[in-house]
Amino acid sequence: MSNRSPERQPVPFHQSRQAREAEVMLDHIVDDFLENPAGMKYFYDLFRQVYIRGESLERQGPQVGITCIQAPEELIYAHGASPVRLCNGSYHYDQIGADFMPAKSCSLVKATLGMLCSENAIPKLGKLDLIVNPTTCDQKKKASVMMEGMDHVVHDLEFPNVKESEASRVYWQRSVRQFSERLRALTGEKLTKPKLRAAMAKTARAQKAFRTMNGFRKNSPAVFLGKDAFLVTNAYFFDDIERWTAALEVLNLELAEREKAAFNAAQKKAPRIVFTGSPPIFPNLKLPLLIEQAGGVVVADETCSANRMLYDMTAVDEWLLNDMVDSLADKYLKPCTCPIFTRNDDRLRRLLELASTFKADGVVYQSFAGCQVYEMEQRSVADALNKAGIPMLYIETDYSPDDMGQLSTRIEAFLESIKTRKRQQRT
Amino acid sequence: MSYFAGIDIGSTAIKVALVDAEGKIKGVHVADSGSLFHKNAKEALRVLLEKNGVDRSEVKYLIATGYGRKLFKEADDSISEITANAIGAHETGKAYGGVRTIINIGGQDSKAIQIDDAGCVTNFVMNDKCAAGTGRFLDVAARNMDIDLEELGDYHFNGKGAPLSINSTCTVFAESEIIGLLANGHGKEEIVAGIHYSIAKRTVRLAKRVGIEDRVYFDGGPALNKGLVAAIQDELQRELVVPEYPQTTTAYGAAVLARSEYLADLKDGL
Repeated sequence: MSNRSPERQPVPFHQSRQAREAEVMLDHIVDDFLENPAGMKYFYDLFRQVYIRGESLERQGPQVGITCIQAPEELIYAHGASPVRLCNGSYHYDQIGADFMPAKSCSLVKATLGMLCSENAIPKLGKLDLIVNPTTCDQKKKASVMMEGMDHVVHDLEFPNVKESEASRVYWQRSVRQFSERLRALTGEKLTKPKLRAAMAKTARAQKAFRTMNGFRKNSPAVFLGKDAFLVTNAYFFDDIERWTAALEVLNLELAEREKAAFNAAQKKAPRIVFTGSPPIFPNLKLPLLIEQAGGVVVADETCSANRMLYDMTAVDEWLLNDMVDSLADKYLKPCTCPIFTRNDDRLRRLLELASTFKADGVVYQSFAGCQVYEMEQRSVADALNKAGIPMLYIETDYSPDDMGQLSTRIEAFLESIKTRKRQQRT
Repeated sequence: MSYFAGIDIGSTAIKVALVDAEGKIKGVHVADSGSLFHKNAKEALRVLLEKNGVDRSEVKYLIATGYGRKLFKEADDSISEITANAIGAHETGKAYGGVRTIINIGGQDSKAIQIDDAGCVTNFVMNDKCAAGTGRFLDVAARNMDIDLEELGDYHFNGKGAPLSINSTCTVFAESEIIGLLANGHGKEEIVAGIHYSIAKRTVRLAKRVGIEDRVYFDGGPALNKGLVAAIQDELQRELVVPEYPQTTTAYGAAVLARSEYLADLKDGL
């Protein structure tokens, strides 16, 4: 298939438009704010190395690309391979994807496909030995064939539409087992209990570190900013999991110090915001950055690029290997708050719970233009939040920088209205 | 004497308002934004002060709003146009028995704002990206038909037939639709009314998203157009409150806020 992008003269990656785009965004993330945690340096450097200088990272075993967080990473590790998440936030790749994707499709899917067919893909990818594509949202479902047309090997990981029913559960458990078979065919390594347990321990350690970091976000005033939290989770997409965990543990120690010293990373009265909807993925951290540049602070998120992906630990130690796999599958299905499910009251419950635990003043709901499920759901989410007395700002946007002026006005107005409200409540 | 000023640097026009120590409006001035935002903004402020015989040193506090707000370093503070609009409409609306919903059509965007009894923003929506249904749309349409913007209202009311329907959701497509209608020999009056209804429909749809409550206030430059006002009232099925100077509500809001910020600073001993 001739989906190859028409970049006629390949330029070195560090001179490419995508590298410049990443550089501009990273400079904003780092330079627009004072007193970034020293522990963030590892992550800033990592993004520089991969997204700007275009150096590839060393990872173990075959590389398995994943297009959605519903792919059980523990299985990939247990088979001796490394997962690398393909979700992309680059406007440049979005435009490449726009060459062959419908105009009204989601930026994220467009950018991912655009990157996969680009001559100048982010080198962190190296060579992908397999792409696992969970059949979650419609656009990702239909992407399988296109990815195959770009000479990638794709495994469709069948995902149910309902999460409550027993039939779905059994169906999903079978899909996960089939996925394990596919991995075995790829790596030649059979799944065993010790290997799976070791893989689970590895991700559990990462999740534990992540939970600790997230815990600090409950503090008021904030000890660090949301933009850094997003960057940390975005790094998890492609970094070696053990290096990532170690770096996060170092950061956590610093955050603990900051907590003790009652450090203020934002203004004292900065409105506390829960971020939800379509995921901010580097370099498209446009909206979280606009919020924090306007004087708010993102204290929690409910998106598949951060909180949702690393929220729960797997503490699974069943007697039989099959039971272990089943409970691993359950962990990926039951707590999932993705809006693709026919019903998902859990998402509302989770949002309300986040707002109260993290003492949030408001919610910002991002929907990428073309992401129907989020667009459709926003009204019911706004109703539920308003009933609980939490204002919500709904923003439909994409990766293009065109609307930043208008968005900053809307965000500032939203933060101003929260401030006035709080002032009134006090007096 | 102490005065307080608000400057609203919009995409099409720069609006300046001056209030006195009691918060009463002293004067307003409107100038084109042009391409030199910053220079023109400074000039607009100078003209306003001169017209009212006020010296720059008497302006104790100045708040900027609008798209150009961040570039106007002469201001003491800046605020988003949504909040400034809400304050201005709340103050102006008092004379009309209070307003709760604001429809604002500007040069590039249109917004609907809901405020509470104290004038605080409780909810707002803004058009996404596209300039369809904004002042720019009127501008382009009028130019196509060789009509002065100020005359649009007269054309609206002088039509003999029913308003024609303009269905395109995009300014550029609407432009070709208008040219098509002209080519087919339709009267300008019916086309103008059609344009007004097309903007009105879009605006009311936006306002319904925010929820329409009580008296609806309509401001922004296009609110000077009586034909558009009539079309919106028709679509909305209720009366609109249109202030005397609809274009300067937001600048006035910024000036009102400038005064209260100054007084708050005084109280805090700053």
